[in-house]
Amino acid sequence: MEKIPPENCDSFSSQDEKNKNNNPDPDVPSSTSSAHESLSGETKSDALDTSAEITTTEENNEDSAATIEKPETTEDSSSTSDLDSSLPKISEDIDRFLSQLESNQTPEEIPDSVEKFAKLVDDQITIYILDEDPIKWRQDSDEDPSLLESVNKISKLTTALSQLPSDEKYNASINRIGGVLQRAMSYFEDEFRSMLENVDSESNDQKGKQHPEPNDQKGKQQSSNSSNDSCALPEPDSAKATNFPGYSPETVSNLNRIALAMIAAGYETECCQVYSITRRNSFEEALKSNGFDKISIDDVLKMQWQSLEGEISTWIKVLKRCVTIYFSGERKLCDVVFQENHSLSGSLFSNLARGVVIQLLNFAEAVAMTKRSAEKLFKFLDIYEALRDLIPELDTLFPSDCSEDLQNEISSARSALGEAAVGIFSDLENSIKGDNSKTAVPNGAVHPLTRYIMNYLKYACEYKNTLEQIFQVHQKIDQSDGGGSDKESSTPRNADQTAKPSPFSVQLVTVMDMLGSNLEAKSRFYKDLSLNYIFLMNNGRYIIQKIKGSKEIHELIGDSWCRKRSFSLRNYHKNYQRETWNKVLGCLKDEGLQVNGKVAKPVLKERFKSFNAMFEDIHKTQSSWIVSDEQLQSELRVSISAVVIPAYRSFLGRFSQYLDSGRQTEKYIKYGPEDIETSIDELFEGNPASMARRRT
Amino acid sequence: MPTDSQGSSVPLIFLGRPILSIRRNQIVNMDGNADQDEFEIFQKHVADRFLDLSSSPTTSSDAAATTTNDVDNFLSIAWLRKLLDVFICCEAEFKAILFLGRDSSNINKPPLDRLGPELLDRTVKALDVCNTINHSVEMLRHWQKLAEIAVMALKQSPLGEGQVRRAKKALHSLLASMTIDDKDAASSKLAERTWSFGRRGAAAAAAKERSTTGPPRLFTSWSVPKNWSAAKQIQAMSSNLVMPRGADSTGMAMPVFIMSTVIVIVTWTLVTAIPCQDRTGLLTHFALSRQLSWAGPIIGLQERIAEEWKKKEKKKSAGLLDEMQRLERCGQALIEFSDSFQYPAEAEKLEEVAMHVAELTETCKKMDEGLLPLQSQLREMFHRIVRSRTEILDVLEQNDKYSSLIL
Repeated sequence: MEKIPPENCDSFSSQDEKNKNNNPDPDVPSSTSSAHESLSGETKSDALDTSAEITTTEENNEDSAATIEKPETTEDSSSTSDLDSSLPKISEDIDRFLSQLESNQTPEEIPDSVEKFAKLVDDQITIYILDEDPIKWRQDSDEDPSLLESVNKISKLTTALSQLPSDEKYNASINRIGGVLQRAMSYFEDEFRSMLENVDSESNDQKGKQHPEPNDQKGKQQSSNSSNDSCALPEPDSAKATNFPGYSPETVSNLNRIALAMIAAGYETECCQVYSITRRNSFEEALKSNGFDKISIDDVLKMQWQSLEGEISTWIKVLKRCVTIYFSGERKLCDVVFQENHSLSGSLFSNLARGVVIQLLNFAEAVAMTKRSAEKLFKFLDIYEALRDLIPELDTLFPSDCSEDLQNEISSARSALGEAAVGIFSDLENSIKGDNSKTAVPNGAVHPLTRYIMNYLKYACEYKNTLEQIFQVHQKIDQSDGGGSDKESSTPRNADQTAKPSPFSVQLVTVMDMLGSNLEAKSRFYKDLSLNYIFLMNNGRYIIQKIKGSKEIHELIGDSWCRKRSFSLRNYHKNYQRETWNKVLGCLKDEGLQVNGKVAKPVLKERFKSFNAMFEDIHKTQSSWIVSDEQLQSELRVSISAVVIPAYRSFLGRFSQYLDSGRQTEKYIKYGPEDIETSIDELFEGNPASMARRRT
Repeated sequence: MPTDSQGSSVPLIFLGRPILSIRRNQIVNMDGNADQDEFEIFQKHVADRFLDLSSSPTTSSDAAATTTNDVDNFLSIAWLRKLLDVFICCEAEFKAILFLGRDSSNINKPPLDRLGPELLDRTVKALDVCNTINHSVEMLRHWQKLAEIAVMALKQSPLGEGQVRRAKKALHSLLASMTIDDKDAASSKLAERTWSFGRRGAAAAAAKERSTTGPPRLFTSWSVPKNWSAAKQIQAMSSNLVMPRGADSTGMAMPVFIMSTVIVIVTWTLVTAIPCQDRTGLLTHFALSRQLSWAGPIIGLQERIAEEWKKKEKKKSAGLLDEMQRLERCGQALIEFSDSFQYPAEAEKLEEVAMHVAELTETCKKMDEGLLPLQSQLREMFHRIVRSRTEILDVLEQNDKYSSLIL
């Protein structure tokens, strides 16, 4: 009792005066502004204020109680011990009276013990309200019945008295007990709220250690007060987050006890209101502390992709955290606090989580509404996957009716994203079609479009399962709509094949085929037919390598497509060989060299001369061509060497003797077979090299 | 056909799809006259629907009328639900005209190339309004609960002090959280100003305990970012709402204009009826010509609401929603009663209280029945707008492709 600090008494009595002044005023709350004034200090401190009111309104009551003086009375007089000792005794009287009422006996009159009990409990409440340390009631003492116990008795009395036949003689007691009950409930409502708003220090280890206090309980209270965050704020990436919502078992059990008492006393609505509002606010705080900002759809659509990308990453993180930690933590808390009433805890949780889920979904919907572009695909898929993973979780957390409603909401967001993803992916066709620049890539190298598309596909195929699912589910709309002409042509192909390929793989093949034909069109920009083939080989090889390098693409595209591609690659190779080297080999043929059975020297000289010129020319041109794939490069060189070198060697062997040794030989036989081989190995390096230079 | 998990419980949301799928077959058979008929029917439907809405009776604020059981009171929850129905019907019809009625390639040509994107922009803003209103409806559900507490308490007989105090406490919370100043709502001041009452009134204690005391801060935040303003969004939606004239007024321009007007008027009505973030300086007048046959009922509705809004501004009440006004009125009367309450209550007073309690009960019942459906309608409106927008964009995109192919 001595703990009550003097300033509290002061403030108390001054407020009391204010109330006294206010109350007789007949038109206090007639306008909202004055309602406001009268509100200040009233709503929360209702339990207290009304004790003052009791005094003003109950002045004629025999026991006029002078509630206000109570703290002082108890402090000054030795009645403190009386009070302590009398409460258990009166409690027993009340129990007796209650059992009498329960056995449907109608009492002649209400025993005095009821009034005494009411007064004692009322005093007890006053003490607790005035006490600096609101935790006090939570500490049960052995000799004293706890406040909760007394209040539960009051609540039982209220119920029992209200069931008595209506009779004037009971009314005063009903009124008295009802008043005490209301004060108690008001007090517990505040307690309930403040416990909910403050995460326990003991569950916040570091915080607790920062404020070591001699009095442990005090320390807790102050640290959580000064921490200024009224809510469970799980900090990202700390172990605390897994502790969500962060109440100690003791607090949770106290919350449960209050909830039980409030519900039993008919104050369920108050209890649920406080619970749902404070938890909702805490949850919002938790989302905020994870970096989740509210963004209007209007703003999302105006946002730069880069910033939006960041928001999406945060969103995904938050969603996952909600799914894995927050929702289950929230559900558990709800289930324990309201463990006696499952349907209540279910609906409280659903209402709270539903609001959060809808809010999260709105962001996903907004993202899906942004202008489609290729680079967005992957983030869209990330969101899609996050939502997909949310669904099984919701089934376990929500009652089925609410779950169904949310499933629909999620489905809607997923449809939006899925359709957007299909749209974006299918738009690859357009970006391929749209790439019709007339300039050829120098030296037949891999076209940037090929690189872009293949790398994009490779990345996309890391989402293979998701994309297959998305195309399965969300592409329908396009098809029923008629879609583009390409899709129509791809549909019958589906039907032809026995094992129907998935819609996504069909789309993938469409894209690849379209890339193929686009490249063929591009190859025609090369005036040199050989370079045309090199270009096709380069790009074809690049594509094949990418496919081979990704198990996912390979599976989707299928072996037959790859075989077909490899076959055309071999054809390009053959065509190249023929185009470039047939003429060269023509110089090394026997036909036409002999005139009348003798080797015609001028013809032979001409042959050597044109071989040299052709080879030099080819070397000069084709060493600047680029074949970046090493294997292809060496395949090409090997195949060239394989035809050119034996032919040259044998030509030399047979005909070099017909040239005069010395000057003539040197003039016409500029290269030995080894020189040719070396030169062939210089082809497709991308460095123009001159053979002449090397000869010096 | 679609087997996606949208399922059957929200079938209406996705009504839009089939419309697109049949359009190709139908375009061919449509000639200009048919279009014209469609337009006229559309205009007529819009006019009829709004006429019906604007002819609902207003609740008079005097107590005698308060017991009326007419569920369709002007600006009541039931009425708002009708309003949303009207929106959904108009929207569906508009979309049908847009996609069925004519070669949609006109969308890319003037004046539609401008009107179309403007319409889409309006729909996006309407989505935010939908969401924030939906959030506010949740708040309404809390208010309903607070009112229910008061009802529960005041129905006790004999009526004791405890119950009166209980009711008073709930009603104070109710009125305080309903007193959302449109200006303050925009700032974070809201939470603090409305809710920062110290437990003991002493400044020191109050400061110390600010975070732990005070009645539940109903809503620490809205569903939208802090800088979002309902008034500004409405302003932006209506600023470029200009009736097409002359050559521009042919073809789809008029239906697009009608639909835009419907969107603006519906979202505006929602904003006037239900509190949402920052309604300072909310427009009260939209430039519509009475010469347009369909516009009359909309103008009528608009003027009626604007009048109510001006009254509201004077009274500083939270919103025009009929049920909210009742909560406010009954709440104030009952607080007055509780302030002067002395046990035992006089029979005369009890009668008066019973009347207010009856109205409060009735109001709570309406809220209980109407708020959840209202929320799902708002969601439906949301989903439909999203869906239509996507469809319109798809058409635009395809037209782009066709035109680029032709070029």
